[in-house]
Amino acid sequence: MALSFKLLDSGFFSNRCHRQNALRPLLGFLFTDRSSKWYSSYRRPGTGPDDAPSWKMNFSFKKELNEIKKNFELLKEEVQDHLKAPKGNNNLNEYFVEQMRVAWEFHSEKDLDKWVVSSDAVIGGKSEAYLKLGENNQTALLYGTLNTEVPRDGETAYSGYCAMRTKPLRRAFGRMRYYDWTNFNSLYLRVRGDGRPWMVSIYTDPYYALQKDDLYCYFIYTRGGPYWEDIKIPFSKFFLSSQGHIQDNQYELWLDKISTLGFTLGDNTNGPFQLEINFIGLLLDRTHTEEFAYEKYPL
Amino acid sequence: MNYVRKLLLARELAAGLGILRRAAPRRDFPQLQGLICAQCFRAVPARSIQSSAIRARAELTSSAKSGKEEESRSGALMPFQELFEGDRKGDKDKASFTRAVEIFCQRDIRRRGHVEFIYAALKKMPEYGLERDLEVYNKILDVFPKEVFVPRNFIQKIFTHYPRQQECALHVLQQMEDNGVTPNYQTKFLLLQIFGEKSRAIRKYWRIMYWFPKLKHANPYPVPDPLPQDPIDLARFTLQRIAADLSAKVTVYQMALTDITDAGKEITQPHIVGIQSPDQQDLLAHHNPDRPVFVEGPFRLWLKKTCVYYYILRGDPLPPEEREDVIDPERNFYCPLSLDLDLDQGIWDDEEFDVDEVVEGPIFAICMAGAGDQNTLAKWILGLQHTNPVLSQVPVVFQLTPGPDELPLATDSENGEEEIPQSQHAKQEL
Repeated sequence: MALSFKLLDSGFFSNRCHRQNALRPLLGFLFTDRSSKWYSSYRRPGTGPDDAPSWKMNFSFKKELNEIKKNFELLKEEVQDHLKAPKGNNNLNEYFVEQMRVAWEFHSEKDLDKWVVSSDAVIGGKSEAYLKLGENNQTALLYGTLNTEVPRDGETAYSGYCAMRTKPLRRAFGRMRYYDWTNFNSLYLRVRGDGRPWMVSIYTDPYYALQKDDLYCYFIYTRGGPYWEDIKIPFSKFFLSSQGHIQDNQYELWLDKISTLGFTLGDNTNGPFQLEINFIGLLLDRTHTEEFAYEKYPL
Repeated sequence: MNYVRKLLLARELAAGLGILRRAAPRRDFPQLQGLICAQCFRAVPARSIQSSAIRARAELTSSAKSGKEEESRSGALMPFQELFEGDRKGDKDKASFTRAVEIFCQRDIRRRGHVEFIYAALKKMPEYGLERDLEVYNKILDVFPKEVFVPRNFIQKIFTHYPRQQECALHVLQQMEDNGVTPNYQTKFLLLQIFGEKSRAIRKYWRIMYWFPKLKHANPYPVPDPLPQDPIDLARFTLQRIAADLSAKVTVYQMALTDITDAGKEITQPHIVGIQSPDQQDLLAHHNPDRPVFVEGPFRLWLKKTCVYYYILRGDPLPPEEREDVIDPERNFYCPLSLDLDLDQGIWDDEEFDVDEVVEGPIFAICMAGAGDQNTLAKWILGLQHTNPVLSQVPVVFQLTPGPDELPLATDSENGEEEIPQSQHAKQEL
């Protein structure tokens, strides 16, 4: 009996999700505040119950107008791009032979706005992470303190991470847009770290809802010291993980559906950290022929 | 329903409950009943009938004993805590830990409560400093009774057989993974013997054995484990790592020394170790003596869980008017100054990113010292003057940030974090 109630309940919730998804292309941006609650009834220990009735949104007419304006501007851009060549590559020949591309640089606050910094503070941990421009406006400095103290909520077993991630690209009305990196086979970074290992993680298009936690990861080991170092990671080395667990069935990274790129620190060492990034580039290394570094046959 | 009840009754009788009823003290009775029922349903019936009488007596004595123990350790929060705290006066080392495990194994032939014991042992391992010891992990896995949890038919194989025990073994393997302990053949044989092949535990083992060797040598700058204990050896390793130049030479300018003079005053000399490459000497020799050089630091470097600090001697970036013009080969079309043709490359191949170089001053030398005060670093500069005579004419500015003592550094002693004591710094000119 109880089970059937549960099923009904979940059916009701998923119905609501679908209805909301149907509205999303047009009005999705109006629901951004509340959508996360509708997907799951899970509540972290320590957070109070959300008793606000669902019709009470924090609705601001001015904000919504701005949103609509922004979305129509994006739409206009999209139409223009479709009629003319896309902004970055006016020359098709140039686009075909492109071998090096600087994907992210850090020259102004606007460049920093493309990134999101997070830490385990969102799960109740005590780490801190900040992102700022370097002294000569050419680099980004990610710094903070890592603290592995586990929050006392009774269910968290591990804590202590800091991360920086790009914001996903959006088209008008909240539709997703992806980077296409099929021309390249390596990621290229110029960084200056403090000896700590970091993890680069790439998030791709979650076509099925099952894939929404999938991340392709690899490590960067910094040398430390006063010199800049160049790190090249072939995309073939990235392995698939889901919710922090390496998967048994490994798949290659699909380079035409890249959503975000991020850096994570979680080396279980308490103390301050620092990572200076000059630029993040993409590279076609013609000497690299490996397609995938891990076995794909069933074990 | 009636039939089932009769069957159960018959089984209970067969398991020697009658004898127990007579023999058991009143107080222990409910506990015993529970134990025996649980055993009857789980264990193989034939075996339980055969050995019922002997076992019943054994249980009787052991439960009476454990009852006394429970009374004595009423303050314990964790099961089996007393096993690990028995020799509180003695050292917490591998011998005492393995002794605790052996005591548990000998206490009861059926290893009752082994899951709780293993969880307790896992929790106690860091206290004993054994969290990276493979032998101890194998010893802990050995506590599981063998061949009992191996699935015997296909239905047991489909569903997780003995999930609580398997999860416990997964916890053991997870702790091994977290501490970077690679299992060995003994671990495999134990897991095969306990849970059989295709169990969750052995799958976890295969996963570890696939990924650990694969990523073992992923780090291009490996850190020795354990780190050198001697601060000078540690400094030498660190400086060679960050200098990124094989021709660079490490010099020990001063050894660590503690001495008492005739006047009874104690003198402590911190160690000073520096590194400089021939290229850096060349750069410093061509440095304009009118421009100052800077001693900066301390900068942080992490070697796994250890934090060390280093100082650099650097110059300012040259102003544009003092930079030497590099004459590029395309200045003269008819008579190129140098010709660098790579015929393997197409004309469309480019190897350079379109980014501006970060403008930073040249670095002349790096050092690590036992103390970060200005006097110590001035000794380093004096030492450098032997090989770089130009330093005696160049003004040296000390730009030292507050040391890590003043920084709100989150230190924890359990991680074995090392810190080099620092003292006050000031910006002054030598």
